[in-house]
Amino acid sequence: MVNRMVLQNIFHRPVRTGVSILAVAIEVAMVMLVVGLTTGMLNESAKRVEGVGADILVQPRGASMFLGLTAAPMPIKIADRLVEIPRVADVAPALFQFGSSTGLGLIYGIEMESFNRVTGGFVYHAGGPFEQPYDLLVDDVYAKANQVKLGQTLNILNHDFRVVGIVEHGKGARLFIPLRTAQDLALASEKASIFFVKCSDPAYTDQVMAAIRKLLPDKQILSIREYMSMMSSNNLPALRAFNTALIAVAVIIGFLVIFLSMYTTITERTREIGILKSLGASKMYIIEAILREASLLAAVGILAGFAGSVIVRRLILASFPTLSVELTVEWALWAALLAMTGTIIGAFYPALRAAQLDPVDALAYE
Amino acid sequence: MEPIIATQDLKKVFRLGKVDVPALRGVDLIVQEGEFLAVVGPSGCGKSTLLHVLGGLTSPTSGIVLVDGNDFSRMNDGDRTRFRRHKIGFVFQRFNLLPTLTARQNISIAQDIQGNGFNPHRFDAVVDMLGIRPKLNNKPYAMSGGEQQRVAIARAVICEPKILLADEPTGNLDTENSQIVLNMLRALNRSFRQTLLMITHNPEAAAVADRVVRMRDGRVVSD
Repeated sequence: MVNRMVLQNIFHRPVRTGVSILAVAIEVAMVMLVVGLTTGMLNESAKRVEGVGADILVQPRGASMFLGLTAAPMPIKIADRLVEIPRVADVAPALFQFGSSTGLGLIYGIEMESFNRVTGGFVYHAGGPFEQPYDLLVDDVYAKANQVKLGQTLNILNHDFRVVGIVEHGKGARLFIPLRTAQDLALASEKASIFFVKCSDPAYTDQVMAAIRKLLPDKQILSIREYMSMMSSNNLPALRAFNTALIAVAVIIGFLVIFLSMYTTITERTREIGILKSLGASKMYIIEAILREASLLAAVGILAGFAGSVIVRRLILASFPTLSVELTVEWALWAALLAMTGTIIGAFYPALRAAQLDPVDALAYE
Repeated sequence: MEPIIATQDLKKVFRLGKVDVPALRGVDLIVQEGEFLAVVGPSGCGKSTLLHVLGGLTSPTSGIVLVDGNDFSRMNDGDRTRFRRHKIGFVFQRFNLLPTLTARQNISIAQDIQGNGFNPHRFDAVVDMLGIRPKLNNKPYAMSGGEQQRVAIARAVICEPKILLADEPTGNLDTENSQIVLNMLRALNRSFRQTLLMITHNPEAAAVADRVVRMRDGRVVSD
């Protein structure tokens, strides 16, 4: 019977109900999408680096986890020394650049032959490898997002490049230019930002890393496994703080809307609460009825939030195909838990107030 | 036989801001089980306050209040609420039905609060006696005043309370519906030996009762 009363109360004020559900839905969607976007971008970026096929990454000491945010490139001759280490199959240098005709993007300057040996070679959707200094390869995701066609000219790094190939995504960057050209444009002659090292067998990775550390003690040496494990928001305090702040804002908004909604409810229904008390309803009965109502609003809001997250994710990917948004069951559960907890806490004070109303005053309330 | 209600020097003082307002100034009252008592008096004489104290909605300031052997002056709010749930039914001037529930649900919620579950036999008996079966699926806004009050009476008696307290039950009704409601209350009293205490300022309504108690300025002036 109390469930029926709760349901009737919810339908009795559809606008209030709708606003409350919407607030919870936005809260849930915000949590899922913020985490999904940051995690998705991190994971997608990491997967592309993993997709290069290297076992070890050699970078200047203090290099950022985010490949591309690195100053002070290294002499390219290091590649020759790396190749001589036993169990090293191939080494591919790359120079990072930022820039694109359609916004910021990481560009790899590569030696085609060594890069192909390490990666196993590009898979071409159209066109072929570089032939001229200002030739450009773009991956299929970038091409689709920016409607880039084979033969098109793009202005990147303040120069016109001709698109000579559209390649399958997943090998580091989305844009590739010849290494020599990148070095000239960056005024970094004979330099590289990173060396991708492929072992003859991944089982030799630790052994080769030890040898590289001995050879190059002042460089940052990471196995691809180590790199992948570092690419999470837990290892990025600023990102973790950003996520936490946004999640906190979402939860607070949900809490406040539910608090106000239930507070308004008990004010509107003061006489009804008096009636229940005159019938002998205990304080717990009143509190339970209000918390049930709030919980039901939250439950519907949570489901709406899940649906909203999926829809917004599709919209984001349709508008910005190069972005990645990962919606996970784990964070769906966390978002639901946060929303429900915030709701119960937000409804608790109004529920307590309702339970403590003087029945005589409540019955006389207009 | 022990009276079902017995008060001795019952006082109730309300604190309004910094002012003490004595609503009951020493009420001595005895009500026997099965009696139909009317309490009459001018506005502000303390009739409703007396009803609220006897119903456990508010505590007495001093004096003895024995209801079915339970001393309200020694009981806290939780104890009085528990007592009221099982032993007391209320009928109000403004009906006080829950607006979002149907007549059926308004009656059933009393059983739900009592915690003894839905009793279909009792439900049918009460509904048929009060003649409200055709209105069971209606919400209050779809019922006349008389119908609403009969539903309120059904809600008040569905759990077989020892005492029925009615605060101006005909105050918002026309003459015809007033008579119907009074007849219903009379029938409850006659047929089920329901102890009934009715507040009214209407002498015609009071005439239906077995006994009339007059109050003035927070005291019983005639019995």
